[in-house]
Amino acid sequence: MDLFQLQRRLVDYRASLYHEDFLDEQFSQLQDLQDENNPDFVVEVVTLFFEDSERLLNELAKALEQPIIDFKRVDAHVHQFKGSSSSIGAQRVQKACIAFRNYCEEQNVEGCLKCLQQLRHEYSLVKTKLESMFQLEQQILSAGGSIPM
Amino acid sequence: MAEKSFETASQAYRSTSSEGSPMDTPLRKVLSRIPGFASSWGKKKAPRGRRIFHRDVEEDEFQYGSSHCLSSYYSVFVARLAIMVMLAILIGLLTVLTWHFTRVYTTKSLNTLAYGLRYELLQRPILRMWNILNSTSEITTAQVKLSEYVIRRYSKPTDQAEQIEQLYQMMKDITWALFASRKALNAITINYRNGFVQAFHRDHRSNNTFYIYSNLANYSISDTESYDDKMQSSRQGWNDQFIHGNVSAIWYRQPLDPVTGEKKGKPSQIPPEDLINIAGPSQVPDGVASWHVAVSKYTDSPLLSAALPVWDASNTSIVAVVGVTTALYSVGQLMKELVEVHSGYIYLTSQEGYLLATSTNTPLLNNTAKGPKLMMAVNSEDRVIRMGAQWLQKTYGNKFPPGHVVHVEKANLGGQHYYIDSFFLNLKRLPIVGVIIIPRKYIMGKVDERALKTLVILISASVCILVIGCVCILILTNGVSKEMKLRAELISHLDARRRAEASSNYKSQFLANMSHELRTPMAAVIGLLDILICDDCLTNEQYAMVTQIRKCSTALLRLLNNILDLSKVESGKLVLEEAEFDLGRELEGLVDMFSVQCINHNVETVLDLSDDIPKVVRGDSARVVQVFANLISNSIKFTTSGHIVLRGWCENPNVSSDSGKFSPDQKKPLSALKTKLKQHGNHMKKASKKDNKMILWFEVDDTGCGIDPSKWESVFESFEQADPSTTRTHGGTGLGLCIVRTLVNKMGGEIKVVRKNGQGTLMRLFLLLSTPADGIEQGRIDFAKHSVAVILALHGSMGRLIMSKWLLKNGVPTLEASEWNELTQILHELFHARTTNSAFDTHYSPAKPVRSKVQTLQDMKNPVYIIVVDLGLLDLSTGIWKEQLNFLDKYSGQVKFAWMLNHDTSNAIKMELRRKGHILMVNKPLYKAKMLHILEAVIKESCVEPQDRSPNVTKGTLKQSDSHECLEIDSTQFETCSSDESDISEMTGANSVSSARTGEQPKEGTVLKSSPPTLRNCLVEFTRLGLEANNLRTEEDECNGRFKLHNTKDVKCENPDSSEQPSFTSNAKDRDDSYTTNKAANEQKSLQGLRILLAEDTPVLQRVATIMLEKMGAVVVAVGDGLQAVEALNCVPDGDEYRTNRLQTEICDSPPYDLILMDCQMPMMDGYEATKAIRKSEERTGWHIPIVALTAHAMSSDKEKCLEVGMDAYLTKPVDYKLMVSTILALTKRSADQRLTQ
Repeated sequence: MDLFQLQRRLVDYRASLYHEDFLDEQFSQLQDLQDENNPDFVVEVVTLFFEDSERLLNELAKALEQPIIDFKRVDAHVHQFKGSSSSIGAQRVQKACIAFRNYCEEQNVEGCLKCLQQLRHEYSLVKTKLESMFQLEQQILSAGGSIPM
Repeated sequence: MAEKSFETASQAYRSTSSEGSPMDTPLRKVLSRIPGFASSWGKKKAPRGRRIFHRDVEEDEFQYGSSHCLSSYYSVFVARLAIMVMLAILIGLLTVLTWHFTRVYTTKSLNTLAYGLRYELLQRPILRMWNILNSTSEITTAQVKLSEYVIRRYSKPTDQAEQIEQLYQMMKDITWALFASRKALNAITINYRNGFVQAFHRDHRSNNTFYIYSNLANYSISDTESYDDKMQSSRQGWNDQFIHGNVSAIWYRQPLDPVTGEKKGKPSQIPPEDLINIAGPSQVPDGVASWHVAVSKYTDSPLLSAALPVWDASNTSIVAVVGVTTALYSVGQLMKELVEVHSGYIYLTSQEGYLLATSTNTPLLNNTAKGPKLMMAVNSEDRVIRMGAQWLQKTYGNKFPPGHVVHVEKANLGGQHYYIDSFFLNLKRLPIVGVIIIPRKYIMGKVDERALKTLVILISASVCILVIGCVCILILTNGVSKEMKLRAELISHLDARRRAEASSNYKSQFLANMSHELRTPMAAVIGLLDILICDDCLTNEQYAMVTQIRKCSTALLRLLNNILDLSKVESGKLVLEEAEFDLGRELEGLVDMFSVQCINHNVETVLDLSDDIPKVVRGDSARVVQVFANLISNSIKFTTSGHIVLRGWCENPNVSSDSGKFSPDQKKPLSALKTKLKQHGNHMKKASKKDNKMILWFEVDDTGCGIDPSKWESVFESFEQADPSTTRTHGGTGLGLCIVRTLVNKMGGEIKVVRKNGQGTLMRLFLLLSTPADGIEQGRIDFAKHSVAVILALHGSMGRLIMSKWLLKNGVPTLEASEWNELTQILHELFHARTTNSAFDTHYSPAKPVRSKVQTLQDMKNPVYIIVVDLGLLDLSTGIWKEQLNFLDKYSGQVKFAWMLNHDTSNAIKMELRRKGHILMVNKPLYKAKMLHILEAVIKESCVEPQDRSPNVTKGTLKQSDSHECLEIDSTQFETCSSDESDISEMTGANSVSSARTGEQPKEGTVLKSSPPTLRNCLVEFTRLGLEANNLRTEEDECNGRFKLHNTKDVKCENPDSSEQPSFTSNAKDRDDSYTTNKAANEQKSLQGLRILLAEDTPVLQRVATIMLEKMGAVVVAVGDGLQAVEALNCVPDGDEYRTNRLQTEICDSPPYDLILMDCQMPMMDGYEATKAIRKSEERTGWHIPIVALTAHAMSSDKEKCLEVGMDAYLTKPVDYKLMVSTILALTKRSADQRLTQ
């Protein structure tokens, strides 16, 4: 494929991510932070985010399975999730976290479970989106081009 | 009984109190007047009642709202009714019970008494009867015994006739004696066997006594044997013949002296029907005594007669029969007497029902043809007796209860009630029944009457009490109900207020939350835009757009901040900072900023601060600036032409100053202040004593459309505008003035609209700001010494006036010119008059005052003239301005020109000016500080090079001095502004920087940041004008707190001409280059060498922050939680595994880190705990590592919490790049300073 086309696709794809609210300015800030010193910074951070998120999702699922749910713990987890998602700019995940926290405050188990489902969904969405974006970037890089900002 | 009623009463109260809980309080009030009783249960009851009351009320309020008043009215009404009903019941009960008990007991006792009385009454006649019977029988017996004796004595057969004669005589005497001894006797009869009868009879009516005897038909008494047989055989026959049948016998009656018994008259023969009842042998058939009731025609009462036989000596035969008759008259008499005393009726009857005696005078006998006969009681002529007897017969018939004893208490006889009692006297031969009939009226009459009366009285009394009670309740509860109504209304009002407050609170809360939510992304947007602006690969168009976006974002953020401020203030969360700042500089910056806007409007913005305003004050600079920014922008909005003056003067509350020059009505605010001071009282005094508080007065005076006096107060309300139509024409939300007022009030001041002469609005406010105790008054250059004269050639009359006044006050002679011709005239006057003869001048004849002033100027020795020329005086629209410039150039040797530039002054003009050597260029508006700079620059120049003024050299030196000045100002500026909100500090910082750069530099900085349309110009300008661009950059740098760079740059780009040549692209490249170097340098510089410990649990955030900081040259050590952070501090940070290897750490003296970034919410140990621990451990070493909190919550309460535990600053997530850098720099710089001082 033409390198230019690839670049074009990446730009469009990225724009669509912003447009569809998957990502926000924070992500672009992350991209700004990437430079020669940290060439894989974004990927690194996002990978960190994935790991962290999966851990948190597991923890949340476990916590919500308990007969007596420790809402404080759940809330702390969600808070953490919110923090990490907001710093990566995963807006929709962050929003889901906000809703989740509201349910936590209400101690609404069903709402929490629903939110967990939602959170999983959003997370997997953003994950696939980001992964495909990184793939595109990889393709461009392997084709010898530079990643347009 | 009383207890009982109280009990019921208390129950009643209880029931009412539990029913109508809203009535509880007034009820309790009423009840508390009943001591003891109410308190005992009141104590128990009250709290619940009250609680119910409150809860009820609350619920009611929420549920029923406005209908509450009505319902409460009804409840009051119902409660009142209930009390009345209770009272009525109570009183009714009391009445009934009283009546009942009094009646019952009285009746009972009376009945008992009456029964006794009746019994007694009846007993007495019966006893009398008994007596009569007894005495009768006694007499009879005596008579019999005597007769027996006499007869036995004279029964000897010898000399029979004589003896019999004697016998009869003897018998007569004896009988008389007996008869006389008993006055009550009616008659005594002796009937001999032979038929002879002797009888004494007493007629009670005529009070005569008679002796009755029959003629002696057969004297023989002796032929007993023969007679015996005869008698035995035909006793009945004897009997008949004996009394009635003996018709042949002749009866004689002889009246006797009732006392002596002497014969009074001749015996007269009487017919047999006149005979009295004479007992014969038939009455004693079996030889025993007999009783019967007889009647006689001589008495109208029945007679009781007893008969007894007289036996012969051998006791075998009856020789005579003795009969004694007693009238029952005396019994009747007794009864009458008794009845007279006691009333009522008594009668005695035989068992068969024949009346024996009555208490009345009615006849007891029936006069029939056969003579009188006994009468039945039922036939009695007396009505009552008859009815009584009939009633008895009807009720009982013949079946009387045993013993004939009847007690009837209420027999209705002919419509009246009677007591009827009967007794039975069981005599052997004559059973007697006594009946007493007493009218009930007699015994119970009074009682019944009284009972009725009592009842009537009781009922009327209770009705009275009831009525009075009801009235009392009405009166009492009327007040209560009124109070209740008022209270209900009050409650509803309070509630409405509370709800309104709550809703307003919700609103504030909502706004606070929302604006926070909005602010965070805005901050991110701005931060990212900043990064973007610094980016290299932007085209000019992009750059312009980004800059514009940034500006818009800033504006939006400002709006959000406004809302947040307002909601913060409303929710009472606003905390004013206390920091030193340069008030004058802030205000100058403000005026600079707004003057740009104003010029388009043809409005002049003038700053007029008096000299006594302290340079540095303590307070919240951002808020102060906000106040004035709002006020001025408000004024600008409504002012289309004229001027806006921001006046300020100082008034020390302790010393009444001499600031009378500012406004004619100075006294008014002073007095207002005095009252205010009084109000504040001790608080103020204390504060001023402690902090050296000053009262700073300000006025914002515009010539706009003005505010209607009726709206003077309301304009300060939120969302309130003086004229609703203004929203259409001017826009705005009406929040500005509200924020102003709340802020001013918060700062201990007041703001109000003041009456003003002429058009426009005059807002006057004062602020209480403390000045630092060691406020050093900087040494002012004495301008008079330097013999400087100023010619102000300015358009704006207001600014000119104020400036000239100030200059004159400072000993600088001043001339004013408002247009080009005037200026030329003055110049001509001044210099031509000098060179030529002064007499010549008269022809020129400028205006007189100008002349005189010119003269004073001319009097000065070797003065330095400074002409401040408004560029607007030149005719810029045509090419004439160059000629004008040339004209002025002629004087350039003699005078110094300082040019007032407009913000949009084109570069060509500036270049031209510069080329001509006019290096003093100042942006409008002109104010004190700028003037001072001009004066200082000129004086300095004139001192350094008094004679030879080559433009180039001058420029160089001046520039250097300026830049030096600039730096000086900047460093202070940065310090004061570092803690401000980024946008404001930036703005003011930029403004003051440029304002400080008086000499060579028009203020692109200001232009760039506050007027979009000119942006393009500037950018073009940049590309063509290296010098400008360079300076802009340096300015930018300075804004970001980086300095000391531009000296070298200045050298590099010194020649303005050279930068005009290169092509567009190369220039851009040049700019880019310089930017990259700049940026790199900046970043290297910004955090170079700082060791930062980052405590953050979220790996993503940790990484991001690390990279951010590392990019700026800091050495970052990241740890995962608070505990690790504390440990990392305690041990040598070498072994920390989180450390990235490529960073060189300098493990040196103290402390291991320059700064700690601490997340607040972390596992193991959160940020607050960690900070506490670190601060504790620091106590040993004496270090103070700055700790910056990183939180996701951006409310000021969090901030307070952070600061409380010992953190130094506070950043919100997601991290704003710029803010973080400035915060870190501020903190590390401070600590570095501290270290240095140590």
